[in-house]
Amino acid sequence: MKALLWISGVVLVGTVLVTSVGAHHASGPFYDPEKSVEAVGTVTEFVFRNPHSFVYVDAMNADGTTTAWEVEMGASVSMSRRGWTPETIKAGDQIKVVGQPSRAPGTFGICCAELTKPDGSPLRP
Amino acid sequence: MSLMGTRTTRRFEEPLLATGACAPWLVRAMATAFTVAVMAAPAFAQAGAEEVVVPDLAGVWDGGFGARPVNGPNMPWVPGENFPVLNERGLAYQAAFDEAIAPKYDCVPAASPAIQYDPYMMEVTQWPDRVLVRYEKDDQIRTFWLDGRETPVNDFTVQGFSAGRYEGGALIVETTKFTFDIAGFDDYNGIPSSQQKKVTERYWREGEELRMTLTVEDPMFLREPVAYTTRWLAGPEGYKLQGYDCDPFEAGHPRKFLVPKYR
Repeated sequence: MKALLWISGVVLVGTVLVTSVGAHHASGPFYDPEKSVEAVGTVTEFVFRNPHSFVYVDAMNADGTTTAWEVEMGASVSMSRRGWTPETIKAGDQIKVVGQPSRAPGTFGICCAELTKPDGSPLRP
Repeated sequence: MSLMGTRTTRRFEEPLLATGACAPWLVRAMATAFTVAVMAAPAFAQAGAEEVVVPDLAGVWDGGFGARPVNGPNMPWVPGENFPVLNERGLAYQAAFDEAIAPKYDCVPAASPAIQYDPYMMEVTQWPDRVLVRYEKDDQIRTFWLDGRETPVNDFTVQGFSAGRYEGGALIVETTKFTFDIAGFDDYNGIPSSQQKKVTERYWREGEELRMTLTVEDPMFLREPVAYTTRWLAGPEGYKLQGYDCDPFEAGHPRKFLVPKYR
């Protein structure tokens, strides 16, 4: 048995703040880590809950259509310890999301995402 | 929690609770008093046993990302190291498993041996006849009975029945009487656990840290017992556990992103 498995835990701190769904379930069955998708648009809702939070983003496509993206985030109980609140993201905010797309055909989920403002500046609590 | 480092054993008079609300002078005074008490008699009479040393496990403990690698398909059960060897029944169940049916997507709480490794806070309170562990994850409370009471014969629950004892400066907890769970071994590999699952935990203090070795036996699905060891760090000063209030819609929300295994 491997003894005391925690050494690499510290290096994860900076990257899991808004990306991990690992605290509740593996992302692999739901999202494709081999692909990346980007959505830039307007937040329609931010749901700050357990076991997952979600931010909903309407993004304009090149052909003029709109895609409603559902961005899975971590548990609110964990995010709140890092300063997140239900008001950190508000409906109407402009946002850029880069992450893994959902696997099921016809769905527009994103996971393990980096969230920023449209100009790439950090989106922080 | 600042008091934790000054004492690693104690005797029972009243439950140990987090001391974040105490004034600094009071903390120092209490620390001195506890040190004297520990040096004098760090022991108590356990039901049906000789005097035993009681490790100080009380307080809020942080099992988050700073304490250990996040849980996942290869953690804490590491392939090639401590990953379970399944018997034929276990392999058949694992092959048939469909992620969508995992009870957690309907807010069924995590249980042993997964809940201990979830990256959340927990609070431990030690009483003379029991130890209470409250997990921030899923709002779960486990009671480790120290009074020697008999294991209920026909009372199966998600968290099972836990009998504890202090031994060698550690808290030993044996839990049985779990309900069947199609994903009850862990949250990531589709391994079930049966009513015959037995989880043994050994908790001890290592300086400012709380450590635990957990062993799982389940002859219905495992060829042999498996174990992992992990740790918690002292929680933030004065931290109060939050309510989890699992939201059934959000718990099941990711299901729509799965490519269905069964139709």
